[in-house]
Amino acid sequence: MIEVVKPGLETSVQDWPGRHGYWNQGFPVSGPMDSWSMRMANVLVGNAPGAAALEAQFMGPTLRFASDTVIAVTGANMRPILDDKALPMWQSVTVRAGQTLALSAAREGARAYIAIAGGIDNEEVLGSHSTFAKAGVGGINGGALKTGQFLPVGSGEGTPDLKVPEEARPAFATDKVWQVEVCAGPNDDWIDASGQQRFLTADWKLSPKSDRTGFRLEGPEWTFAPKATDKPPEHGSLPSNIIDHGYPLGAINLAGQTPIILMNDGPSMGGFINPYTVPSAAFWKLGQAKPGDTLHFKQVSVEEAQDMAARLKSLCTTSVLVAV
Amino acid sequence: MIYDEPKFLPGGDRYMLLEFGNEMNLDLNFMAQGLAGAVAAAGVKGVIETAPCFASLLVHYEPEDIGFSDLAKELNVLAASLGPSEDIELASRLFYLPVLYLDPWCAECVADYRAKIAEKVPDPELIVRENGLEDEQHLVRRHSSSEYWVASLGFWPGLPFMMALDPRARLTAPKYNPPRTQTPQGAIGLGGAANSIYPVATPGGYQIFARTPVPIWDSTRNDPAFGGDLCLFGPGDRIKFVPVEREEYDATAAMVEDGSYIVNVVEYQKFVVADYNTWTAKLTGDAS
Repeated sequence: MIEVVKPGLETSVQDWPGRHGYWNQGFPVSGPMDSWSMRMANVLVGNAPGAAALEAQFMGPTLRFASDTVIAVTGANMRPILDDKALPMWQSVTVRAGQTLALSAAREGARAYIAIAGGIDNEEVLGSHSTFAKAGVGGINGGALKTGQFLPVGSGEGTPDLKVPEEARPAFATDKVWQVEVCAGPNDDWIDASGQQRFLTADWKLSPKSDRTGFRLEGPEWTFAPKATDKPPEHGSLPSNIIDHGYPLGAINLAGQTPIILMNDGPSMGGFINPYTVPSAAFWKLGQAKPGDTLHFKQVSVEEAQDMAARLKSLCTTSVLVAV
Repeated sequence: MIYDEPKFLPGGDRYMLLEFGNEMNLDLNFMAQGLAGAVAAAGVKGVIETAPCFASLLVHYEPEDIGFSDLAKELNVLAASLGPSEDIELASRLFYLPVLYLDPWCAECVADYRAKIAEKVPDPELIVRENGLEDEQHLVRRHSSSEYWVASLGFWPGLPFMMALDPRARLTAPKYNPPRTQTPQGAIGLGGAANSIYPVATPGGYQIFARTPVPIWDSTRNDPAFGGDLCLFGPGDRIKFVPVEREEYDATAAMVEDGSYIVNVVEYQKFVVADYNTWTAKLTGDAS
């Protein structure tokens, strides 16, 4: 068991790849926004890469451990402290019963991950441990952690003093500018050539009105191909309006003139076009970007995006770990 | 327009959007739902899940198991093997939902949006203008005259995407620019020709003009009307909006609150596509 001494800003249980099979009823996949960091945390403590762990956002939690275990903290640097000693990140560490882990505000990055040997053993809802806090589904009582809660932990034995070498960790932007890969489609042909070029060359600022459902972007106006205006009335009359359709996770959803990247807890369908989609292997960058940061988009092919995901998957395994 | 061959559009490394056509009608919805069923029955390797909507099917796949072009080939074969929707007969529940049209909560939400986010024509007035209606009461009569077909669920848990079955009740509206950050729970909205009910307070892009007190999603799974499901509706259900006055709305809301409200649904009817097509053809004939 782990006692929640302080919950942090919005700390939740997530597993990877999350909740599959309910997109057609409107339930999002949820899961970690930076699955690279979370998978590495799990691998460090001897768990399957997708085991349930904690995602801390912007301000981390304070946790007290009821029994001896092995943990790892990865992702954003929230300056973790075990009792009164700094805890090394990207490393498996033995924790004794009664010890307290405290994370504070994120310095580099936005989201930290805490994995425990055996994983968090909360009840599965719709086939996943993940939390969809906005609808009260999954996680611990349907929401983010609260003070005084006790988190159940599965059985597992980790090995301390393993670490993820620098070259196998995600490299966070130090200048608040992120190069994010995108694939064209499904609705890139609704945007005219100059609009497409503008999207791929502009500075896009991540709005503070962003959360686990969507990341709003601030930038230039969009311009459209004739297809966007010459269409049957059931689409809706504005250029970004389309007959409601399924949304890919990561779609850059053009709601009127406001692009919103559909994140892990985002909508499964709707009536706006999706000119571009952020592929799964680039999601960690979104998870670590802070409001006010700048995003630059770089187009890759579907095949390149699939190769990126395969490379990331093969990286997030025990074989990459080294002794401290 | 229904395309001769479906279009296969990529959505990143794990999604494909398959479009059957460029309009809203029952045939296209049966194609989307039919292909979703066929994919599940065939157990296509690499397909994780699908999400059918009015005229399209989103497919979530595992690229380690199947590539984009192979998936398109398999789906094309399955799509070609679907029978004509003219032959379809299916059990279709009919829900009667009490609705307060032109309600104060949607009006307040719209006023708040106009004050804080963007100036716009208030939603009911906009729909009246866009569709050449006489006034807001005309909108109420027109909107409540038809049964609505649940084409799919999506956006948010339990949210139904619906189309008016009576072509004379078909209304259209542009979607919000930018979307609202909040919508009252139970609000009924119109975007394009699609109708929907917001299951809880969420962001939204449809024009809103009415509200039902009946909950359509239950995260506790305790409401017997849901039969153990989280969502009240499923594709192929029909919904009839019953206009009520404020007094009845409040009484219904109180019954929902104390657990005594029983959802009004009939479960003895079949939807026969051939009969529906005959009926709509007759209506069109009358109009001309």
